[in-house]
Amino acid sequence: MTYQDTYATGRRTGPSAPYGGRPAAPVPPGVPRRGPGGRRALSAVFWLGLVAAVLPWWLATPPGSLADTTGLLTAAGRITGLVAGYLLLVQVLMMSRLGALERRLGGERISRAHRDVGATLLVAVLAHLALLVVGYARMEKNSILGQVGALLTHYEDMVSAFVAAGIMVAVGLTAVRGVRRRLPYELWHHLHLTSYLALLLGYGHQFSNGAQLYEPGPVRTGWIAAYLLVVAALVWGRLIVPLRFNLRHRLRVADVVAESPDTISIYLTGHRLNQIDLLGGQYFRWRFLNPGCWWQSHPFSLSAAGNGRWLRLTVKVVGGHTAELRDLRPGTRVWAQGPSGTFTAAHRTRERALLIAGGSGIAPLRAMLEELPPGAALIYRARTPADVLLHNELDWLAQARHTSVWYVVGSRDDPGPRQVMSPEGLRRLVPDLTRRDVYLCGPGGLVEEAVRALRRAGVPRRQIHLATFEL
Amino acid sequence: MRRALLAITGLAAGTTALVVLKGAPGTSQAAQDRPVAEAPVVPGGSAAPGPAPGGVTPSARPGASAKPSAKAGASRAPGTRTSATTRVTTRATTAAPRTTTSAPKVTTRTVTGPVVSYRYGSLQVRITLSGSRIVDATGLGMPLDGQSGLRSDDVQARYSGSSGEVVAKQSANLNTVSGATYTSTAYKQSLQAALDKA
Ligand SMILES: Cc1cc2nc3c(=O)[nH]c(=O)nc-3n(C[C@H](O)[C@H](O)[C@H](O)COP(=O)(O)OP(=O)(O)OC[C@H]3O[C@@H](n4cnc5c(N)ncnc54)[C@H](O)[C@@H]3O)c2cc1C
Repeated sequence: MTYQDTYATGRRTGPSAPYGGRPAAPVPPGVPRRGPGGRRALSAVFWLGLVAAVLPWWLATPPGSLADTTGLLTAAGRITGLVAGYLLLVQVLMMSRLGALERRLGGERISRAHRDVGATLLVAVLAHLALLVVGYARMEKNSILGQVGALLTHYEDMVSAFVAAGIMVAVGLTAVRGVRRRLPYELWHHLHLTSYLALLLGYGHQFSNGAQLYEPGPVRTGWIAAYLLVVAALVWGRLIVPLRFNLRHRLRVADVVAESPDTISIYLTGHRLNQIDLLGGQYFRWRFLNPGCWWQSHPFSLSAAGNGRWLRLTVKVVGGHTAELRDLRPGTRVWAQGPSGTFTAAHRTRERALLIAGGSGIAPLRAMLEELPPGAALIYRARTPADVLLHNELDWLAQARHTSVWYVVGSRDDPGPRQVMSPEGLRRLVPDLTRRDVYLCGPGGLVEEAVRALRRAGVPRRQIHLATFEL
Repeated sequence: MRRALLAITGLAAGTTALVVLKGAPGTSQAAQDRPVAEAPVVPGGSAAPGPAPGGVTPSARPGASAKPSAKAGASRAPGTRTSATTRVTTRATTAAPRTTTSAPKVTTRTVTGPVVSYRYGSLQVRITLSGSRIVDATGLGMPLDGQSGLRSDDVQARYSGSSGEVVAKQSANLNTVSGATYTSTAYKQSLQAALDKA
């Protein structure tokens, strides 16, 4: 074991946490691995679905039938329409919090895919709209605006379809990062929830006007079935599963402990905690059912691996909600949704791991450390000594599980951190870097910078696992 | 974002590729789509195998709206007799009103085209001629309700009546009504057959 306390010692301002009574985690076997098979299967299903969505058009269109520009425009409009309809279903499905998806893809990857699919969906919707309006206008020798008017007045369900497109544009534009940063999270979130409305409003026009879906037959039936499946997944993932989980485990706040001036740990107890199938590094979405907080649900990682007696989250106060959590009373009921995430020891590809934490990003890594095989290394970046969280626990774990720990304290421009967070610095601390999985969790800037350094040091991308506390 | 851009490019490229693959008119493709197009107009008994698909194709091609007819589906045998062969081959030439061939004596008569089934129903076009001039047209038996009814209304409003497009153009060479491609196509088909008879 090498343990270096280069710059700082931690400082705890609260009563000591109840972890102390526990024997050190049983050392060897780490958790068994979960391969990427599930992920690949899901990706195959996605592409098959896309083909299935466009296939009816392909089969129903005779070759050579699109000789003129008008025909080409409307055909492209139909294809983009089918693609948009399919992607919208995929988008909603990804947000259904279906266990099968969360376990195989993980929140991080889902939200990344959700962003990419979202951008594509927006473009597909706009293309669908533009191509068909222009195509129809040419066909009817109408002006563009006149054609929009005709569509709105003469066609069934077109008003709601246009509203749906408007909603998707609004949702898409506020999801652009620069815009989103300027909006309060709740506003963004509620606007985003209106996309369910887009699903509803866009539904009708596909069947009353869609060339491929108008006619009763297998295509129409299949499409409706897909809609029903997605809605069922939504009800299952967002309602039934959480209801069952919470009725079964009945979580309550047991204690709130200060870890540093701006960080708290919340301990939870409940029924049958040993039966929750969770892994260190996973997170839940928490709803604290007291008058001030019940209407907000926030994601926080578990900062200790499952032990059957309590759960813990370690929260940094960054805004309104996290500030309120400081005043939680023991006994407050908690509604939880999870566990989610593939940021776990089970998703490693190698025997050894390097963990890099920034600030409160230590929370999931601290939990994961209990489940990684011995021999891991941890680099913990913190701005000041006071920001080093869970210091005593890390020391204790480092001994029990043969982990090297480096605390790197200072601002990012200080010589120490600058030197460590470079390819050479990382290689010096962890010479076998490229043969390890690297788990990164912390502020966006730190994570990006670290990824760049790791890549330059020669770590393959699939060995790098990210958690950026940002959905 | 890089992946999103990739996806968007993929969408554009994919859509273009699909459209181009389907759109490119090739000889083998023409032969393939013809039989479907032919099916609806083959009347009950008589002219059954008549027009060999391959042979008729080239002459039928110039007809501006030959394309959507491929989807018209099978039609009922019309009560009134029409010949598929004449319909198809004369298509391109009937566009010009036959003023020269008709008798100078002005009589008014009506001619009814065959019933044409299409995706959302079936219709039959009746034209009224004064001499050789079309003075009125109307679609019969078109669906009245729902979305198909709306499409029918659109088509009727545009084509039919003494001030409709049929009278204005004096031919079946009509602009397709947007959003009512199938209905328009069926209308034009029945109209063309009626004109051929007249
Ligand atoms: C998977 C995941 C795990 C996390 N684990 C931890 C953890 O273990 N410890 C910890 O301290 N923090 C964690 N976070 C971050 C934590 O969720 C946010 O700091 C918290 O929600 C901020 O709420 P606020 O109202 O106090 O701050 P605000 O000032 O409202 O927001 C601060 C930032 O947090 C984001 N945010 C706000 N509300 C939410 C929400 N409901 N869902 C998602 N993001 C939100 C906003 O985008 C904003 O950038 C995690 C985030 C994610 C996505």
